Parts: sequence; structure tokens; C-alpha cells
Amino acid sequence: MTDQAINTGAGRPAVSPQAVVDAARPTGVRQIDYRPDAFNPAPSRRFYFLMMTPSIVLLAGISIYPFIWLIYMSLHTVGEAGQPDVWNDFKNFTRFATDGKFQNGWLLLIKYSAMCMVLEVGLGVLLAVILNRSKLEKFLVTIILMPMMMAPIIAGLVWLFLYNGAFGWYHWLLQSIGILGPTSVLGDSDIAMFGLVAVDVWQWTPLITLITLAGLKRVPQDQLEANMVDGAGPLRNFISVALPNIYPFLLIAVLLRFMDNFRFIDAILILTGGGPADATNMLPVYLFDVSFQYFKLGRGAAVALTLLLVTIVLGMVLVKLFEDPRRKIKVHGREEG
Amino acid sequence: MASREIAQYPTATRRVLGVATILFVAFYLIWTLLPLLIMFLSSFKDLLDAFQLPATGDWGGAALLFTFEPTTKHYQNLFLDLNFGTYLGNSLIASLGSALVSVVLGSTAAYALSRLDFRGKNDLFFWIISTRMAPVVAVLVPLYAIFRSLDLIGTLPGLILAYTTFNLPFAIWILKGFFDNVPYAIEEAAMCDGSTRLQALRMIMPLVAPGIGAFIVLCVLFGWNDYLFSSIIGSGGAKTLPAATIALVQPQNIQWGSIMAAGAVTTVPMLFLGVLIRRYLVAGLTMGAVRE
Repeated sequence: MTDQAINTGAGRPAVSPQAVVDAARPTGVRQIDYRPDAFNPAPSRRFYFLMMTPSIVLLAGISIYPFIWLIYMSLHTVGEAGQPDVWNDFKNFTRFATDGKFQNGWLLLIKYSAMCMVLEVGLGVLLAVILNRSKLEKFLVTIILMPMMMAPIIAGLVWLFLYNGAFGWYHWLLQSIGILGPTSVLGDSDIAMFGLVAVDVWQWTPLITLITLAGLKRVPQDQLEANMVDGAGPLRNFISVALPNIYPFLLIAVLLRFMDNFRFIDAILILTGGGPADATNMLPVYLFDVSFQYFKLGRGAAVALTLLLVTIVLGMVLVKLFEDPRRKIKVHGREEG
Repeated sequence: MASREIAQYPTATRRVLGVATILFVAFYLIWTLLPLLIMFLSSFKDLLDAFQLPATGDWGGAALLFTFEPTTKHYQNLFLDLNFGTYLGNSLIASLGSALVSVVLGSTAAYALSRLDFRGKNDLFFWIISTRMAPVVAVLVPLYAIFRSLDLIGTLPGLILAYTTFNLPFAIWILKGFFDNVPYAIEEAAMCDGSTRLQALRMIMPLVAPGIGAFIVLCVLFGWNDYLFSSIIGSGGAKTLPAATIALVQPQNIQWGSIMAAGAVTTVPMLFLGVLIRRYLVAGLTMGAVRE
């Protein structure tokens, strides 16, 4: 080592090379470690885990703990006002077999959701196709998404006013057209359900329209042109080119709306509260009554668990759709996904 | 669309289709706007005017909707007698507070999830989003008990925490998508220049800032529009606008004028926010699955 020879002078080889390097390093300058792995440190896992901890702890507190509690309650007859909880041999679950309101609740929830989906998808897609690339698209979309911004409970109140049998404008309108008898929309057990569907369609069709519009923007133009050169009309074009392209978007939209129907019952609670004669007593509404009107917390927990189970299964399907690599390339518009 | 560039001759079918399209859009706009319009008009009407309805089948009578003496007495009633100023403040503090908490906690967690790979990450991720999908009614009883034992019922911090239960998972989910789009190379470069990891994170924040801004607005929207939490967790001291509006619905005496005014007060700010973040709305409402 020639450096060493220069620095230490001749005839004094006792000083180690490292000590010389140390001595030559000026103080106050950042020390650089030349070990090769220092340039590319593996991401410090502890740093990342520390960043995650607060959120994870908070989420665990508000989800796992209540979940365990829910399971506990569902297995007991929860005592009211200081009474002890009593184990009841799964009675909360076995009684589902004979609980007409529970079964009816699921049927009504599915019926309601199905009606909402069909109307919302039909109207929403039609509207999106019309609006797509029209000159007024921006302006019209801004207007039609207004109901979505409204609190569901306020929307419920406004529609309660509109449906009112004495002074509601929609009541008057429906009677004037001649499709409504003397009873009000929400007072008639045959049509109350349609009244609720109308509110959901009014508020959430724009979501389907927005999602479909986002999908239509990604339909490859060359495919459309090729199809037209082959002699396809606009309808044929839509069915065989646009629809396959927007189908994954629609699927996500439908699943999301489905789960929202499980989650948001604000408008239903204020509009009918499950009536008349249980005609709109869908499962979440029934659950609300059992837990908060009759305070049968054990039974309520069992009902809640069935609702949670179905939601989680739907959620898993949804996440699988998110992760589908074929769809991801289209949706995110980047190959690496 | 390609079809625009191809000459289209106005055949009879095309003309009928064009007219049908315009009619459909016109009807849809009326259907969308009429409930909002009636809400706004009724909030400025005396109750006697608001309850005026033409006879069945009397189409000319529809003009009654617009014939009234405008009055602001319902708004005065809300803010002078019914304390709606406080409720408006509560709504604002609770929704904004929860949005900020969610974004601060959510962005650190999302950043870590975006940069770190470990076993079970997908399961953890699914669990995070499933906490948001859970039906509120299902978990309301245990949540109420937890909040009561922490002495948070009827307080604004309690309400902020309650809103965070649905805003935080949403924040992590969406923000992770934002961070995934920022190349790790930028942080590597920063760290080569001597930044610490936290400084490197600060370096890439401007890149995700627009998304985060829009996202805060969405969180405010969700908190503002919530009713179940505010009626149960916030009952007592921390009433928000939706809960206060429902309180006006009394069995014998539904105060329709004040309700419509309260509805207008609750809705108008959100309409403006909606226009403001229109570009991010689809991504937000589909939990990031669909982007414009």
C-alpha cells in the first residue's frame, strides 16, 4: 500500500491501515460506510410496521372486539337491566327456522335490491351511452349527480313529503296520471316497496352512470370502427363491443350497490320503518327493530351475524374482482397493475 | 366516436331516435331535479302555501308550486330558536376532524402497506376493507358499549372517532392506490442524497397531494351525511345536522317548513363539494376500483 508508506513514513509498519484511514478522516464531515450493502439497505421493516401500528390498533379495537362481543351475545339470552346473560344452546340461531319475519326479511331485502339493481343499471347505462361524448356531457353529469350528494336521511324526509297523502306533490302527480288509488304510496302494502325503490333509483342511478361513463371512455375505438366497417349498427356495436368492455365495471357497481343496500337503511327507516304490515320489513330494518326497539340483543346479534356473513362473502367476491389481472390492466390503465 | 366522422344522413328513424333521446334526457333531468326543487321552494314557503295542492287531474294547477310569498321564517326559526348554528358547527367539526384523523393515520399506514411486502399482506388488506363493508346496524350495539365505557357518548371526540371507523379503512384503501403510483426510485434517490426515510416520505407527499385533497373532501361528505352514528353515538351533546333534522319529525306535529329548510342547509354545501371533486368522485365511491 503506497498510501500507507507515504503517511507513516518509512520504517514504521506497526500502524494498521485502518487506523491511518481513521486519522485522515476530517471530523465534522458525514462518515460514509463503504460496505456494499450500505448503498442499498433493505427497507427497514420496523419503520414500516411502526407506521402501520396506530391504524391497525384502532381498526382492531373497532372491529375485532365488537365482533367477538357479537358472537358472545348471539350465543346467550342477553339479560336486560343488570340481569346476567344466560347460555341458551344456540336458540338464537335455531329459531331462524320458525322466524317468519327473519325469512321474510331476507326475501324482501333480495327483492328490493334486485328491483333497484335492474332499474338503476338499465337507466344508468342508457343515460351513460347517451351522455358519452356529447357536447353537454360535463354540464349534464354535474346536474344528475346531485342526488348522490344528499344525506340519505334527508332524501328520505324529502320523499316522505312528496309521497304525503294530503299535500305531497308526487301523490298528486301519480293520482293525476291515474296509476295511484286513494291510499298514499307508503300506506299501501302492495306499492310501498316500489315507493322505496324509486327513492333508491333516484339517488343512486347517477353512480351507475358515472361508472359506466368511466368504462365507456376505455372502449377501444379501433374495435368500434372495425365493427362498423363490418356493417354493424349502433345497437350491435354497443352489445358486441362496448358491453363486454364495460361489463367488469358494471359488476363492481352492482356489488357495491348491493352491499350499500345492506348498510344504509336511513331512508327506509324514516319512510316506512318496515311497514305497512311488514311489507317493507327488510332484514336490516328487522335487525334494527329487534335490537333497538325490543332490546333483544342476543337475537339481534344472531341476525347481525348472518348479515355480516353474507356481506363478507360479497366483499370477497368484490376484492377478487378488484384483483383480477385482466380487468386491472383495463381499469388502472397500466400494465404492471 | 368514430361514427361522428362518418357522414350521417337524417333518415326518419334517426330523427325519431334523436327526439326520443332528447325527451328521455329531459324527463330524467326533471325526475332528478324535482325533489330538490320542491325542497328548496318549500323551505321558502309559508306552511299554508306549502300544503296547497291542485285537484287531482288539474294539470294547470301545477303552477301552484311556484305561486307563493317567499318567506325566510323557517331559516330564522332554525338558527334563532332551534339552535341549528351549534348543530352546523358540530357537523363541521365532526366531519372535518374525522377526515383529518383518517388522512393522517391512513396515509402513513397506506404508505407502509404500499412499500412493504410481507406474508399475509393481502389478508390484512382484506380485513381492513371489510371493516368498512360491515353493516353499521350489525355492529352498533357493541360499538355503543365500547364508546360508553370510554365516556365518549354525546361528545364531539366520540363522534370523530365513530366517523373514523368508516373513514379510516376507506382512507387506507384509496391512499395505498395513490402511493402505488409513485415510483420507489424517487425515495431511493432522496435517501442517496442523505434523507432519512421520513424525509423521503415528505419528498413524495406533493405527488399524492391532489388525490389526498379530494379524498379529504370525500371523507367530509361521508361524515356529514351520516345519520345512524350521530343519532346513537352523538346523542345528547353532539347532535349533527341530520340528527337534528330528524328531531323535527314529531308524531303529532311534523314541522315540514323547518325540515325542508334544514334539508336545504344540509344539502347545499355538499352539492358544492360534489362539483369541486367531480373528477375523483368515481374513484372515491367505488373504493378506487374504477378511475376516470
